Amino acid sequence: MKACTRIALALVTVVTLAAVAASQPAERGVTATEIVLGTSMPTSGPAAFWGVPIAGAMDAWLKNINDQGGIHGRRLRLVARDDGYLPPRAVANTRELVERDNVFALVASLGTANVFAVRDYVIETQTLWITPLAGADIWAGFRRNKYVFSAYPSYIEEGIYLTTYAAQHLKSKTFAVFYQNDLYGQQGTLGIKRGIDRLPGTKLVRQVSYEVTDAEVAAQAQKLRESGADTVILYATPRHGALIVREMARLGYRPTLVSSFTLCDPAMFALAGEAWNDIYLSSYFPLPGTGDAKVEAVLQTLSRINPALARNPFNAIGGVAFIEPFLEGLRRTGPNLTKDRLVSAMESIRNWDGEILRGVTYGPDRRQGTNRLFMVKSERGQYRKLTDWYVYPTRF
Amino acid sequence: MTQLVQYLVGGLAAGSLYALVALGIVLLYRSSRVLNFAHGDLATLATFVAFTLLASGIPFPVAAAGSLLSAAAIGAAFFFLVLRPAREATLLGKVVTTLGLALVFSGIMQLVWGADTKVLPFPLSDTRVYTLGQVVISEINLGTILAGLALMALLYVLVQRTKVGLAMRAVAQDTTAAQALGIPARRIFGLTWALASALGGAAGILLAPVVYLDPFMMLDPFLKGFAAAVLGGMDSLPGAVVGGFLLGAAESVFAGYVSFKFKTTFAFAVIILVLMVRSEGLLGHEYRRRV
Repeated sequence: MKACTRIALALVTVVTLAAVAASQPAERGVTATEIVLGTSMPTSGPAAFWGVPIAGAMDAWLKNINDQGGIHGRRLRLVARDDGYLPPRAVANTRELVERDNVFALVASLGTANVFAVRDYVIETQTLWITPLAGADIWAGFRRNKYVFSAYPSYIEEGIYLTTYAAQHLKSKTFAVFYQNDLYGQQGTLGIKRGIDRLPGTKLVRQVSYEVTDAEVAAQAQKLRESGADTVILYATPRHGALIVREMARLGYRPTLVSSFTLCDPAMFALAGEAWNDIYLSSYFPLPGTGDAKVEAVLQTLSRINPALARNPFNAIGGVAFIEPFLEGLRRTGPNLTKDRLVSAMESIRNWDGEILRGVTYGPDRRQGTNRLFMVKSERGQYRKLTDWYVYPTRF
Repeated sequence: MTQLVQYLVGGLAAGSLYALVALGIVLLYRSSRVLNFAHGDLATLATFVAFTLLASGIPFPVAAAGSLLSAAAIGAAFFFLVLRPAREATLLGKVVTTLGLALVFSGIMQLVWGADTKVLPFPLSDTRVYTLGQVVISEINLGTILAGLALMALLYVLVQRTKVGLAMRAVAQDTTAAQALGIPARRIFGLTWALASALGGAAGILLAPVVYLDPFMMLDPFLKGFAAAVLGGMDSLPGAVVGGFLLGAAESVFAGYVSFKFKTTFAFAVIILVLMVRSEGLLGHEYRRRV
């Protein structure tokens, strides 16, 4: 081969490689016009009550952002995969989202057990994950969480708060807990135990669990009645929560009922009927129908894009709450978007009020964006705010 | 003692629904040896039909009848349009076809009605209760048990006391011989599919007010109904009823006195034990074929 031929071949190779390199996006899942996000949600199965409106609202809110030109000229596309609330499917979904769909970031993904199942994989692959929907405690003491930003309460801290509130304001002495037999329910139960340890004169008299696949909970209601507890705390899916309060009412057992914020959706009034009156719940953002103008405006926008979302207003605005810290991070990053630049932008968020979330704070050493709760009470088909913010210590 | 009776009451209410599901499964299995994995999803689909009819203002009895008829029509259509043309397929192939049908039904329900939980309006009260001492039973649970028993009695009369029932039994026993005697086996098979599907629909309508309606409502009851059928004997209609009630009562009592976490595990452990002693189930007959 002549020297000039060799030089020509070398040049062609260099030019080709340069062209290929130039055609690759600077950051996975990001092009000049689009950012690809991924989430794993239970849009079927026992937690579809949560997953369907949350995924629907995330999609609708992104459409709303895109209709206004996107963020820094880029449209946002959400790839949502159904996991049926099953951790093994959440693992498969997350791997697909990262390895096949090449998403820039994971957003949300629902279920403490599901999030726990994919936690190590996400950390190992250094994938951005904004607001995983899991009890915040699974991140406490966990190192190398640079790319994870949580904006979800701690079920343990919530359990402590619910117990303390009931003891101090509702004169509760004997507690029972009805909980889902997975990490979600177990963390809530742990919080209740810790709360009771701090409250002299109170006692946890019964822990009654159910499996997420259980169709009915009549035996559990009977067991709770036998316990004679004056207060029952719920860590359940909306369906099981509605079933247990109805069953207890049928048996004539009417303890003070306290619940995790996970059952805040006004749709509970339709499911449980009269039995959903006088329930005390925590919340970490203003509930629909309680007079917050920003929340009502968001709900109106969501309902215009997807009218079905009006049926589950709490979970619908939850969908926006779970994605808005990421959107704020994108805005702060500017047009030159990389993973590390987004991390820096997220770390600059301090005491930030979004459309739904309030007082979100991150920092170089802080990934727990929210650590505040307040109490509401269900009354005749509506929720009424009872307290101001209760602040608990951040753990990571 | 009161506690035990209360657990039994709860268990029997659940058991009556397991029995209804099991009857549908057994009815089909007896006649065609096909395990219908779409039984639960078809029942849910029929319940959604009732839900839609009720939402449009149609009275409950008419809506329920419409729902059962639609379930029967879908069941018969599945036999004539899918299973009959595929009659040369292996038994396993036919079972897999029903699995596919289940997925189709589930997809249709999520597409048309969404996956959120719904309340099916029901004429019996959820909150009105009857008490006997400390034992409490709600009107809806009592109604469910009675309606279940009535349906079981109707099925018994149909199968044991009518000519159609005789034909169904003949076809189930020996299709070729039955055809030789002039029994229209194809129509009888179609009728069996229709009847079993309507039974499933009835179970769905009775179950929905108790556990709420969503496309996945029958996941657990179908599994339990299938287990009840195995427990009672896959070819025995009375066995399905006994199996359903036993399973419901056993798991409720176990949950109350031992553990909620192993409630389902216990139910299946009982079935394994029974099958180790009587492989054909409690009231089933050993399957023999002359060669």
